[in-house]
Amino acid sequence: MKMLNNSKVRRSLLVAAGCLSLVGAVASRQVFSADMATAAAELPLSVRLSPSQYRQSIIDIFGSSINITGRFEPETRTDGLLAVGANKANVTDIGFERYDDLARGIAAQVVDERHRAALIPCKPKSAATADDACARAFLSAVGRLLYRRPMTENEIAGQVKLAGETAAKTGDFFEGISTSLATMLVSPKFLFRYKTYEPDPAKPGQQRMTAYSKASQLSFLLWNSAPDDRLLQAAAKGELHTKQGLFQQVDRLIYSPRLEAGVRSFFADMLQFSDFETVSKDSAFFPRYTLKVKEESVEQTLRTITDHLITRQGDYRDLFTTPNTFLTRSLAALYKVPLVERTDNGQPQHWQPYSYQPGDPRSGILAQSSFVALHSPGGRSSPTSRGKALRENILCQVVPPPPGNVDFKFIQDTSSPTHKTARQRLTAHATEAMCTGCHKITDPMGLALENFDSSGSFRTAENGADIDTSGDLSGVKFDGPAGLFQALHDSPAVPACVAKRAFAFGAGRLPQTSDAQWTQIEASFKDGKYNFVNLLRQIALSDLFYSMPVQVAAK
Amino acid sequence: MRVTKLLSRGAMMVLPLCLFSAPSFAETRGYVIGWFSTATYNDFQNNCPLDKNGGGLKLRLRNLMEIGYSEKEALEIINGTAVNLSPDINKRINNRAIVNGKPVPVPNYPEAVRDPMIESVTGKYAYGFDLGGKSDQSKFVDPDTNEKIDNQLWRAVGCTESYRATPPEQPYPEELSWATLIDTAPGWAIYLTGENLDKDGPVTVTTDRLLQHLERDANGKVMPFGTYVIDPSPKSHNVFQGEIKDGILTITPSKLYMKAQHPFYLDIALTNAHMRLRHEVDGRLTGYWGGYLDWQRYAYMYTSRPANGADYIGLYHSLRRMADANPDPATGKNRDISGTFRMEALPAYLANIDGKVIAPAFERGTKPEKLASGQ
Repeated sequence: MKMLNNSKVRRSLLVAAGCLSLVGAVASRQVFSADMATAAAELPLSVRLSPSQYRQSIIDIFGSSINITGRFEPETRTDGLLAVGANKANVTDIGFERYDDLARGIAAQVVDERHRAALIPCKPKSAATADDACARAFLSAVGRLLYRRPMTENEIAGQVKLAGETAAKTGDFFEGISTSLATMLVSPKFLFRYKTYEPDPAKPGQQRMTAYSKASQLSFLLWNSAPDDRLLQAAAKGELHTKQGLFQQVDRLIYSPRLEAGVRSFFADMLQFSDFETVSKDSAFFPRYTLKVKEESVEQTLRTITDHLITRQGDYRDLFTTPNTFLTRSLAALYKVPLVERTDNGQPQHWQPYSYQPGDPRSGILAQSSFVALHSPGGRSSPTSRGKALRENILCQVVPPPPGNVDFKFIQDTSSPTHKTARQRLTAHATEAMCTGCHKITDPMGLALENFDSSGSFRTAENGADIDTSGDLSGVKFDGPAGLFQALHDSPAVPACVAKRAFAFGAGRLPQTSDAQWTQIEASFKDGKYNFVNLLRQIALSDLFYSMPVQVAAK
Repeated sequence: MRVTKLLSRGAMMVLPLCLFSAPSFAETRGYVIGWFSTATYNDFQNNCPLDKNGGGLKLRLRNLMEIGYSEKEALEIINGTAVNLSPDINKRINNRAIVNGKPVPVPNYPEAVRDPMIESVTGKYAYGFDLGGKSDQSKFVDPDTNEKIDNQLWRAVGCTESYRATPPEQPYPEELSWATLIDTAPGWAIYLTGENLDKDGPVTVTTDRLLQHLERDANGKVMPFGTYVIDPSPKSHNVFQGEIKDGILTITPSKLYMKAQHPFYLDIALTNAHMRLRHEVDGRLTGYWGGYLDWQRYAYMYTSRPANGADYIGLYHSLRRMADANPDPATGKNRDISGTFRMEALPAYLANIDGKVIAPAFERGTKPEKLASGQ
């Protein structure tokens, strides 16, 4: 099993090695190549760190004063999540250059005069010469956190040597440290999480995930970041292989404020918030949808989610009906609700809690701009896109793509004198036989959201015609957004979907739903009144979460 | 006995107030003023048939001639100058005023230099109100009401190039200041209260200054439906009794004072203040404010900021000449000038300092007041 190959990892490693000269030190190439060969041979499964995981890891290791500026490799969505797509992610030549830029920037800041005293645990004998002992102390400590396991003696020796040679050439100890650190930051050992397995002594003939892989999987599920020192210590002591030890660590991670980062990252992935990078609205029609409002709409939803699920320990399903949210004055203007802020002139806007009155159609996270604006083109709403997103993101269903020769003439003609509303346009469009099938799946849900224009602002009429927001979900009929949100709240498919996605977010793959352990996790979620934090705990404590993927085991 | 007298006198004083504040107003609509400028009527050909004032080049020519160059010499200097005059010439132009025998900056002593007698508006039309001005010759006709009106401010400034602006363009010096200050200076609010603001009837119009500056939308204009807190200071608090008739809102003339911020107007201080407003289909409230204002405070907008491109000396003297009210008892010279401003207001939620929303934003059709929850 250890020799199991992963061609994409291998390719990324080769690319990394090929581009190593960008880091600058010739000696590092040898170290890196040796590491690469070891990694490719010994590490069977890899998951590329997402941009948010990369950032969070750097912040957790070096502190939030380190600026992380630059672009990352594009991500791929699989089974509804980028976290699953990361299993197949590679590093391209250009991507490696980007990682190299990021690495150099970070390493330079870590050793600069502002940070070195706090981040480097020893003072070199001379700032102008190499100091192997000091370099070893820093690089081995940092390397353990970056690689999420202790460095091997070979790895440490290679990095110390590189630091020493660079210091000798440049006459600068810190330049040497910076070069080594930059090399480690472009190493696949940092950029990829490796899942490694070993024979399970308790179950002869079976494999179990190694303790350090477990620590990583756990940490990235709950914190969206690398394991901290205590988790790595627990892994080193073998505690993660015991029920009690695992329980202790899971609870420690769950009760940490860093859980919020994990929950935010999961929902940002599930709700496709990375797609906001390309969202824009026609300012002639939606002047209140500013860049600031766009960014704040995402934050609004994530605040609503973490407040409801973590602070209030609420029922996951209530996210779709909760009247409670958070707003800034700009967002309140978009939603046309009053939000008083009594600060002096010129003060920045603050987030304030806001509650809609019972039954208000703007209650729930799906009424927020982060959903309705994300799934709408720039100039009009799209019941079909919104319905598709509801099916795929909230219900974990698959909607087939439209045929290549689909005719959008009715849909796009928003100035039609006869088809004033989206419902009228879609009705005309759906008369074409090849379109009808899919639109039956998406439109009855999406049309219920027509009270929200492309930007997320509330409306009751379109082009002067009253909007009809009736619809149905699996036979449950409703009228308007509030009805749709209640139908989703009551649908058993909704909590089932989030459970699968949460598992996949941490494991990088969907669960085997036929597995008895999965049935137990689902039942526990239901019995615990759909408490999402408890769901994460059950996933993190289950053997299923750390088990070898079926396809891999079969090989 | 004395107490009884006082009480009865107090009751007599309260009674009229009760009588006039009796209507049970059912509706209030809040707005913030998102556009405000001197009201222009841009018909240059008919307004300024002499085309005497010219633009920046003519102004530069006049300035050079003021410091002693002949027209020919001045033209030679201008033609040999890429963009700016030399620092030395600029200094001489700026310090050409002589006070107590010493050269002093012209913007600080505009009265110390000769009136260049810029051309003033001689056209028929201008926006405004009949303020009771007695000189029939100085009256314009308002193109909206066809009534004779007083607007000597427009007569004074309307033939300068900066004021050849048709809304939504603002006169350049005012646009420059407004666009700068909108992101920092507290905004202005106006709110209407009435039984049914879609119908004719009595209305109370209130204006106030805000604590916050205005938010911009994606087009750089003022964002509607924002929430703002009204400055509790009574300084800019004005309440007017008004009436909607045939869809047009007017007020009983009164005083108006709105604190502003340099380098925009120092303030808008009107006596005999009039308003003529109307609801637009898109939800805005648009119209005119007019009355008599201190011409020197208005002129200070130019003279305090001479780099804004306006002919500040020409405007200063023109305003002085056109001033038509409030003569100084000592000198007999008029201190005020009749003028009118155009404004556009956007729906906004207005709250008092205690955080209570006292005027909701209004949008026709969506009835947001039924959907929005209070805080």
